[in-house]
Amino acid sequence: MRDWAARHRWETVLGGILLATIVVNATLSPFFLGFGNFINLFWLSIEKIIVVVAMTFVIINGEIDLSVASVMGFSAAVMASAFAGGDIPFAVAIVLGLLAGAAAGLAQGFLIARVGLPSLVVTLAGLIGFRGAARVLLEDRSVGDFPEWFDRLGQQPLIGSIPLALIIFFSLLAVAWIILERGTFGRKVYVIGNSADVARYSGVGVSSVKLRIFVASGLAAGLAGVLFAARLGSVRGSLGEFFELDIITMVLLGGVSIFGGSGSMLGVALAMFTVLSIRNGLGLANVDGIIQTGVVGLLLIGSVLVPNLLEGIQSRRPAPEP
Amino acid sequence: MSRWLKVMAALFAFALLSAACSSSDDTTTTTAAQTTTSSGTAVVSIEGAGSITATFLPKCTNIAVFPQANSGAEEAAAELGSETAAFVGPADCGDATGQIEFMTNAVTQGVGAIMVSNNAGDELAPSAQAAADAGIPVVSWDSPIPSAEGESVFIAQVDFDETGLVMAEMALDILGAGGGQFAILSATPEAANQNAWIAAMEEALTADDKFASLELVDTVYGNDVAEDSVTQALALVDQYPDLGLIMAPTTVGIVAAAQAMTQEGLCDQIKVSGLGLPDEMREYTESGCAPQFALWSFVDLGYLAYYVAYGIATGQIEAADGVTFEAGRMGQYTITADPTRDAGLRVLMGPFTVYNADNVG
Repeated sequence: MRDWAARHRWETVLGGILLATIVVNATLSPFFLGFGNFINLFWLSIEKIIVVVAMTFVIINGEIDLSVASVMGFSAAVMASAFAGGDIPFAVAIVLGLLAGAAAGLAQGFLIARVGLPSLVVTLAGLIGFRGAARVLLEDRSVGDFPEWFDRLGQQPLIGSIPLALIIFFSLLAVAWIILERGTFGRKVYVIGNSADVARYSGVGVSSVKLRIFVASGLAAGLAGVLFAARLGSVRGSLGEFFELDIITMVLLGGVSIFGGSGSMLGVALAMFTVLSIRNGLGLANVDGIIQTGVVGLLLIGSVLVPNLLEGIQSRRPAPEP
Repeated sequence: MSRWLKVMAALFAFALLSAACSSSDDTTTTTAAQTTTSSGTAVVSIEGAGSITATFLPKCTNIAVFPQANSGAEEAAAELGSETAAFVGPADCGDATGQIEFMTNAVTQGVGAIMVSNNAGDELAPSAQAAADAGIPVVSWDSPIPSAEGESVFIAQVDFDETGLVMAEMALDILGAGGGQFAILSATPEAANQNAWIAAMEEALTADDKFASLELVDTVYGNDVAEDSVTQALALVDQYPDLGLIMAPTTVGIVAAAQAMTQEGLCDQIKVSGLGLPDEMREYTESGCAPQFALWSFVDLGYLAYYVAYGIATGQIEAADGVTFEAGRMGQYTITADPTRDAGLRVLMGPFTVYNADNVG
């Protein structure tokens, strides 16, 4: 156990923060520790944390995807306008929305992996471009009146009190954990994130791994956009706006290095739960939205500072005798 | 003759029915004092009946009118001996779906009542319905839930059709009999109240020939964010060289537009009007940049919303067509079917005050 904690220092720290958050929340509000509230806690941010799972791969791989929130809006807009156009069945519109997300990821991934442009620039352009496309598709309207089954899937629990989106999220999280930490693809993601050159010389197909990760990121954003549309019952051009900030925050708080190469799914999962618990707990204690954001911001600064400080202290200590 | 008979019969039936309803109320609530008007309808005077918890959820917390409305709700809570409602909401009005989280949290907290100014369209309906399912009355004020799903009753500040007419009258007054071009600068594209007012104004323009000289060239959205509203106002100026008036049915938009026109020195060509707060508009009304604007009291609106929510939560009144009640210092109101929506009930507060250089100070 101590061994594990030493190898997973940040996860251990996060676990402590999470535990403290839960204790504080439970004292602040008697409603925090309810099963229904835990469902709500995830459900209210489910679209963000689905994208967080894919973003973890992107950042460990040494890249960034700023376009995810705009791709969410774009996919939902494609779905809504295809449906509003009239003749096609709604299920086809959903598939079109998902494909739009994957295509957005593919286009950006091509520019990054094959052409070699920096992901910061490409996905910044994507952030602007796909949001623009969503607004062009829907103008200032909000498109709704989706089939009842779609709204019900988004707004009602599916099994017991658990909604579909939560089932999708936890399945994705499990699959992502296996791929990232138990498979060869995951090992390649880390190796490339550490040094793309070393990876290339070792015969790792760098560009094909990067391309696949960006397609996955676009597809996850598309899925999140469609699920958000179902939860809201309508789509507007601004759907998901500014979500990228919260999404990237959760990945970094999870201990994933912004320079790539390190981080774990467990850390990110703990970070998600911590951020959502803080928001939910402060919300139940009737604390203002501005302060909630401030607390999460402080936590993020801390998450960057603390590991660096710990490292500094350790390097100053004399090395143990051999 | 037979029509009169029918009307009399209907009135008689209505009187009987309401008497029956009120007598059944008597058995459940002992604190509600009841008086009877000359027409025979029971009037429930809403009075203190213990403390309730409540959430007062504005579109956002950073626009002046919402803390004003909350102060009215606080005043009402104090009068009724109830604890102050939690005043929580999104920090920014551009965050249209942020209210869902606050609504859901209120349900988790099991509050006695929720009072909300809806910033989205029907996107808030599922969470409002969840509140209703949990037995929590949802009283909307300022901006209703369009489908009325999950909503007990809407406290309308003024009649939405009248808002359209008042805006049309102000536009005609400012542009003069010769008329001219004007544009609308609204809040978010989904704000149910703003959309209803704009629709009512468009209707008023076509309904009366005296407005024929007024030409509505565009409707743009500043999202109730000051910077966005300034940008949109300036874009209108660029796009329509003959523009004579910007009509902003939002307190954020009207100030932003007046500020932009003043800074650009365009006040001689382009006037500003709409719905504004006297405190924020005084300078522009006195300078002639915004010669006229209109508004109601947000303090009164919050006060009335709290009374109604409290009355429903404590079982003193029922959210049903024809229920008449007395709300503290504001006097008597009746719940009716909302004529501006397909479904839903409303209480009409009113009235409008049109401000100009003479009464703005």
